[in-house]
Amino acid sequence: MRAMGMDRLDGRNANQMRPLTCSRNLLHRAHGSARWSQGDTIVLAAVYGPKAGTRKGDDPEKASIEVIWKPKTGQIGKQEKEYEMILKRTLQSICLLTSHPNTTTSVIVQVVGDDGSLLPCAINASCAALVDAGIPLKHLAVAICCGLSETGSVILDPTKVEEQKMQAFMHLVFPNSPLAVLPEGSSSKHDEPFEHGIITSVTHGAMPERGYFNCLDRGRAASAAISEFLRRSLQKDGS
Amino acid sequence: MDTPTNLVDKPVVPGDVVLDLSTMANQTIKLGAGLRQDCDTISAMKAGKLRLSKPNKYWIESSQKRYVPCVEDTVLGIVVDTKPDNFLVDIKGPNLAFLPVLAFEGGTRRNIPKFEIGTLIYARVVKANSIMNPELSCTDAGGKAAEFGPLKDGYMFETSTGLARMLLSSPMCPVLEALGKKLSFETAVGLNGRVWVNASSPSNVILVSNAIMRSEFLSGTQQRIMVEKLMDRLQ
Repeated sequence: MRAMGMDRLDGRNANQMRPLTCSRNLLHRAHGSARWSQGDTIVLAAVYGPKAGTRKGDDPEKASIEVIWKPKTGQIGKQEKEYEMILKRTLQSICLLTSHPNTTTSVIVQVVGDDGSLLPCAINASCAALVDAGIPLKHLAVAICCGLSETGSVILDPTKVEEQKMQAFMHLVFPNSPLAVLPEGSSSKHDEPFEHGIITSVTHGAMPERGYFNCLDRGRAASAAISEFLRRSLQKDGS
Repeated sequence: MDTPTNLVDKPVVPGDVVLDLSTMANQTIKLGAGLRQDCDTISAMKAGKLRLSKPNKYWIESSQKRYVPCVEDTVLGIVVDTKPDNFLVDIKGPNLAFLPVLAFEGGTRRNIPKFEIGTLIYARVVKANSIMNPELSCTDAGGKAAEFGPLKDGYMFETSTGLARMLLSSPMCPVLEALGKKLSFETAVGLNGRVWVNASSPSNVILVSNAIMRSEFLSGTQQRIMVEKLMDRLQ
């Protein structure tokens, strides 16, 4: 299963991601906002909250998160509802829901450009917007898209054209790599470092088991670079 | 990645472990905003700079548009509703705050103040936890009025919590000092990100408000230069 140095249309190699940009605090009225772009895929996320009151039926002992996905064109359909559900579950697992009980935080995601790898771009933008709004989080979420071709080679961050050519592709979300002041060799270093956990995995298409784990390893390795980029962009002074 | 020994005064993101408690037995540590305890470690919940106030107070300094109520903070609230026992006041936090009708100097059932919806109130936070609505008071700890109460005339604008803290810092923040040398005005700053300005003429009010809004990301000298330029345009 040799990666044959696949010729990608834009000249990247298999492990290369498109250039990332992230800017925060763009929207005047939103309590937190972020714009994340990976090449031509651009997503704008806005966070409002926490606001008093949960929706009917939600647990009042926890904060509730509501996600609204707005596509670039067209009406809201099943695909948008699916994205909303995946985004909501991912954000629920990184937010500290018990710090503001009986409140609702709304996350609104607007797709500005779609050129493949849309859901990971939206997850990254939402995470940056939550940090901008000051919502308490357990850790950050870093999302990446991997494509698997028939020959078994893995490419990262496929464009829309590449996604359609792939046999299968998947969206993976990992926790970020934290800085820690723990002493070396402490007992809290478990078998695996913290960032090897996985928050969300969504697959499209059929793939062999080996292929899935291959993609998982590549995605994990790349998530370290995105995590570092997110950390640096969060540290820049706002505006 | 080499593990840093000390993250104090360095920028942190949510998830960073800032203190390891297993090495510090028999010490009391006070945790401020943005930090939480996770078994044997203290980790960050917000992105910002980790600060330490000797001997043992840690907190994360960050600036947001919303406010998290803390006891003993002075805030500017807007009355949204009146109830028999409390005024409901919006302080830009996750919940509405209650201001008891008797929490005024010399307040009795006979002289309850009549606040309309939309009145701006300068008050002090008395009770604040994440579960209940926060409670305010228009008296200081000794029961005196001490400048608390409704604010009439003037102009109120909203800022981030970071700018509000900078305006209240001592020694006085350069923009207020520079404005005070040339103009006379009064301000009330709420730690929840609201600022009220009043002066004798509307153009002075606008000048002071614009100067404060522009000073958020400027250094001390830049603020002084900005104020001088605004003054020159007025003359």
